[in-house]
Amino acid sequence: CTNGQAGCHVLSLANLFDRVIQHSARMHGISNDLHSEFEQYFLPSKNQIGRISRNCHTSTILTPNGKENAQRMAREELTEVILKLLLAWRDPLWHFHQSMAHQHDFNNFSSNKALEMSDMVHELRKGVEKVAEKMQTLGIISNSVSSLASPEASLPSDSAEWRLMKDYDLLYCFRRDSNKVQNYLKILKCRIVPDHGC
Amino acid sequence: LSLTPHAKEIRHSPPGKPTLTNCRSPEKETFTCWWEPGSDGGLPTTYRLYYRKENSDTVYECPDYHTAGVNSCFFNKNDTTIWVNYNITVVATNALGRTSSDPVDIDVVYIVKPNPPEKVTVSVMGAKDWPFLRVSWEPPHKADTRSGWITLIYELRIKLEGEDDWEVHLAGQQKMFNLFSLQSGGTYIVQVRCKPDHGFWSEWSSSSYSKVPEYFHREKSVWIL
Repeated sequence: CTNGQAGCHVLSLANLFDRVIQHSARMHGISNDLHSEFEQYFLPSKNQIGRISRNCHTSTILTPNGKENAQRMAREELTEVILKLLLAWRDPLWHFHQSMAHQHDFNNFSSNKALEMSDMVHELRKGVEKVAEKMQTLGIISNSVSSLASPEASLPSDSAEWRLMKDYDLLYCFRRDSNKVQNYLKILKCRIVPDHGC
Repeated sequence: LSLTPHAKEIRHSPPGKPTLTNCRSPEKETFTCWWEPGSDGGLPTTYRLYYRKENSDTVYECPDYHTAGVNSCFFNKNDTTIWVNYNITVVATNALGRTSSDPVDIDVVYIVKPNPPEKVTVSVMGAKDWPFLRVSWEPPHKADTRSGWITLIYELRIKLEGEDDWEVHLAGQQKMFNLFSLQSGGTYIVQVRCKPDHGFWSEWSSSSYSKVPEYFHREKSVWIL
């Protein structure tokens, strides 16, 4: 949508934020649903699941784990964290969907959800990139968000660790990370456009 | 009459198994866990809560047994981390032994139950012959909705005084709701509650009352004529 084409409305930053926040809420909702389905499926051995030490492949990405930490972070850093998390899930979610499609234990419904989730994480990253670019254009954040310039380079070196993870653990980790993304987006929005529903 | 030594022996035993009943956070920044003691085995029994955080072997004891009342443990801001699992156990100890509860795994993000909305006010609005009620409220003051840390949706319910059934309305994230087509001269009771996006509904706020002024329905006035 460039140069004011007909029927092309330029979205305000607040609107863009609302879009990515809604998108992230839906994505987290799907991961929640799938997670409960898995829990039911694994119910007989639920205790065993509890004992697995879950080292998410994204644990090397430092994320604020409390309100004050999140608020203390610079806008650029918080944007960077969101983009890093989303990028780190692109490949694992794709493989997760593939693996579900080939297992007969799960119905089409779950497999479709896995595909939807995989698509959503990609779309959401594109959306957040748009928001970040807009913030840079408006001078709200500096041009130091490296995930925008070279996304692949910002992946941690041990980012393929997820290949060793079980499907359930992968889902568990994604449910958590998608919740973080949603929360960080809201914090970012309320810092930048505080008068829009904050 | 005296108790036989045998009867005494039966009465004294190691403590029964305590049960962790609930862990809740009102604002995603602190949380509290409550437990129910088992039998005390007829002896003085103490209860201690222990917790271990995800991917760590260090076991900590409850930082505060007092703030949240009896049989509870309060975790203040510094002791609360979100997106991290806490594995929690309560241990009952008396002179004859100790018994542990079943452990409970929690992530604070998923145990949020806010306090009820505050400053619920109901005012009569609109024209004399067509009044309506405007209900407005504020989020619970502990929940930091302004920073985006927690997002609340609201639900309100209304009924005529003396009636049994509530009419329920979902208000979304709005902090105001208009109620129309009310009974002329009726006194209404209104309550509001709130819920974070991934948590539990709060209790209902205390009741707010409002009397709709007497007004004549247009159809009715025609009929009277």
